[in-house]
Amino acid sequence: MTATRPIVDNDRSQFDFKDDIVYLQQTKRGLTRDTVEEISAIKNEPDWMLQFRLRAYDHFLTRPMPQWGGDLDHLDFDKIIYYRKPSEREEKSWDDVPEKIKATFEKLGIPEAERKFLAGVGAQYDSEVVYHSVRKELTEIGVVFMGTDQALREYPEIFRRYFGTVVPPEDNKFAALNAAVWSGGSFVYVPKGVEVPLPLQAYFRINGENTGQFERTLIVVDEGAKVHYIEGCTAPIYATDSLHVAVVEVVALPGSKVRYTTIQNWSNDVYNLVTKRAHAYANSTVEWIDANTGSRLTMKYPAIYLRGEGATADIISVAVAGAGQHQDTGAKAVHLAPNTRSRIVSKSVSKDGGRATYRGQLKVAPGATNVVASVRCDALMLDDISRSDTYPYIDIQEDDTSMTHEATVGKVSTDQIFYLMSRGLTENEATNLIVQGFLEVFTKELPMEYAIEFNRLVKLEMEGSLG
Amino acid sequence: MTTPTSSATEEAASVDPATASTLDGASIAAAPTTLAAERATRRGPADLPFAFPDGSLAETLAAERSEPDWLAADRLAAWKAYESLPVESNRLYTPYVDLRAAELSTVRPYVQTSSTPGGSTGTGTDVAATTAGRIELREDGVVTLELAPDAAAAGVTLETFATALARDPEGLRADLEGAPTLPADKFAQLARGFWSQGVRLVVPDGVHLDRPILVRWAVGNPDRALVSRTLVRLGEGAQASLVEELVASGPQIVCAAGETVPQSCFVGTLEVVLGPSASLAVASIQDLPAQVVAFQYRHATIGAAATLHWALAQLGGRLVRSRVDNRLEGDRASVEQVEIVFGSGEQLFDLTSYTHHIGRDTTGNLLSKGALKDAARSYMKGLITIDRTAVGTDSFLGEFGMNLSRQTRAVAIPSLEIDQPDCRRAAHSSSVGPIDESQLFYLESRGIPADEARKFIVLGFLEPVVARMPLAETQDRLRELLEDKWAAGSAGSAVASGAA
Repeated sequence: MTATRPIVDNDRSQFDFKDDIVYLQQTKRGLTRDTVEEISAIKNEPDWMLQFRLRAYDHFLTRPMPQWGGDLDHLDFDKIIYYRKPSEREEKSWDDVPEKIKATFEKLGIPEAERKFLAGVGAQYDSEVVYHSVRKELTEIGVVFMGTDQALREYPEIFRRYFGTVVPPEDNKFAALNAAVWSGGSFVYVPKGVEVPLPLQAYFRINGENTGQFERTLIVVDEGAKVHYIEGCTAPIYATDSLHVAVVEVVALPGSKVRYTTIQNWSNDVYNLVTKRAHAYANSTVEWIDANTGSRLTMKYPAIYLRGEGATADIISVAVAGAGQHQDTGAKAVHLAPNTRSRIVSKSVSKDGGRATYRGQLKVAPGATNVVASVRCDALMLDDISRSDTYPYIDIQEDDTSMTHEATVGKVSTDQIFYLMSRGLTENEATNLIVQGFLEVFTKELPMEYAIEFNRLVKLEMEGSLG
Repeated sequence: MTTPTSSATEEAASVDPATASTLDGASIAAAPTTLAAERATRRGPADLPFAFPDGSLAETLAAERSEPDWLAADRLAAWKAYESLPVESNRLYTPYVDLRAAELSTVRPYVQTSSTPGGSTGTGTDVAATTAGRIELREDGVVTLELAPDAAAAGVTLETFATALARDPEGLRADLEGAPTLPADKFAQLARGFWSQGVRLVVPDGVHLDRPILVRWAVGNPDRALVSRTLVRLGEGAQASLVEELVASGPQIVCAAGETVPQSCFVGTLEVVLGPSASLAVASIQDLPAQVVAFQYRHATIGAAATLHWALAQLGGRLVRSRVDNRLEGDRASVEQVEIVFGSGEQLFDLTSYTHHIGRDTTGNLLSKGALKDAARSYMKGLITIDRTAVGTDSFLGEFGMNLSRQTRAVAIPSLEIDQPDCRRAAHSSSVGPIDESQLFYLESRGIPADEARKFIVLGFLEPVVARMPLAETQDRLRELLEDKWAAGSAGSAVASGAA
């Protein structure tokens, strides 16, 4: 073990596979008004959705590219295929899923996970939900968990009432893009008072070179209901840039509790530009548990708008930035009602020239009295060619807010390494252990299988040999 | 699932663009079209409030002063830089620019100013025993310029740019040409191009001044702008302290009912260059009249093992936009900056600090505290940058606020950009909170009336900065100013919060 040996050697090959799929239907490269109309026509959507898409498309054209975050100069909207459909209809059971696709999911371990843990699966293969199984008991208690396209057909009323209300197309350029060409994603509705006993999970994958993935997830949790939703994703590595532009809307009605967990592990060529936002009504609790280890550039700031009195927001955001990666992540808590509380915890690790950025906002609007809020950002840098930034925006417009914010940046302590090595660990193992300990605030919130998977991911990120 | 939905849609539409703008500067341009039409006749938050800076004014200023070609050219270069720069060059902070309170369209600077005082000048024994030198300036010229005999004998110079141009033209040229102490900031370039008054303080190697130098700026003539530069250079091992006062230039202007006093404008720099092991303490009390808009720019280049202390108090003015740049270039350089804001009425304090760590084992310790009454606002922006070369950095930035009324607004953006993890410390901390009820209860239980107790707590919150003022009389003056300001507004704010 010498000090000069590179600590980290990425080996992501186990996530690195692609299949030759015959796509049944896809749009031409690039985005025009025709593309938007074509997508809507292929999906046989109601007119209001077409109008929604077109309104979003118009806004997308007029909205300038954001200049404040990561480097988007190499993003070429004309090279992207905005819609492709791998199989004709949504599958009801695992047996009906095409073998090729099934093989891919098997590499991802979905059937394993399902046996043990799944309450329902919405597995996204490119731009359409191809596999979906909802456990019988979920259906019996009235929980709706299906592809977003299917929900538009089967639950038009509830769908239209909430769709696009949390993240309107005019919110930002990428929300507009998603609204124009969205396809796939999950829809969840939990009726009043129902507690979903097991986490709902969806695996997402990008396959196919230059495939854009524009899923749109809408989760509505009715009064007093409770749900935990988990998404995790892996993707094959390609030479040219891929684009993932998603929108997630969560509506937490009074007294409800929602937890949304993400493990994002896109391959290092993906632009991951996601708008995630929740509206928390009176006495509800919303939790974003968000980890980003992959992608070339991630710009994602899970937000919670505390709109009802007594609502609670909890955001844990974790980012690992390696060579060539920029994780521009963070969190937003916007207090719009009295007696609301928020807590933001952010942990980032940068190494091998990667850049980890925390960008967050804490806002207390006039009228939001007696707010308690805290923000904590810690960054760990594993070498001196990496970079770490912290940009918190704090805006308080009430006189009885109690707000605290703390941020620190540092390196792995040599004392800790020395101690662990004196106990027989290699330098690599010691560093791993310290990084895992640093991120534990996140991992301890995960279901066990996910915690194991995440620790394995971090290990892989840290050094290929131990994986 | 019925109740909140319809209102949810409407609220989302009204809330989202505003809140999104903080993370997305672009959305400012994307304001709803109806509002944009209404605002067409009004200035946007980042539109300039004045029109006086143009190339011909720069030329006139140079010609009136018979300035050498290099200086005239420097003014023109500054004007061009000024024209090309945005109001806020840091994209992080563009959502928090608001110059709308400034109404300076008719404001002009004096072209001709006297650079010799009407009163005493040179080395005089009548300099108060408490100072090593003093210079007082108004919009139209120098009022007083005195240097204690011992300071003069030690080789210290305190002079106007005009005097320096005659006495030491090459020295001044080295200091000013190319503006090494004024980086690419629009308002810094404004001062560089259009200054009418300049002050230069040079303390030679090894000289220790045991009493402070006092620089007093008097501002407040309606429709007048005072644009100035102050240069402070300390040689190796030199030690000095500087007290800067910004005060009213005349008695308070009273207008008939319905009329408003025309605003006046102050644009000032303080450019500090510290040689190796030099030590400088700067204390500033800004107590300008209520109709003054101030743009302050301070820049410090801190050499090896040199130490700089800033103690800055912001009390007056209608709109104050201030920026402090600390460049820790030498190894073991250190800077300590404490700043207080006590805002009332509709004052806006827009304060930015940059701490740039370049040398090894440098130290930065910044503390900002703001207490806001009535509908006052403070935007506190701070950025710590640690370069790859800056091994062993210790840097801390704290921004703390106390909102005393419901109409106040406190914004804190304490940021970090770090390329070198081998630091002793790289951290920031921020909090905003009300007056601590338990402290209030304790004081009241000791028989102190509620309002008096509130005053103690607020002034105690600001006291750590007051205590750092280098002169006892400056400390006392600042305490008096704070008490006066508390007393002036307390009745009004009680009514305001009662109404709300």
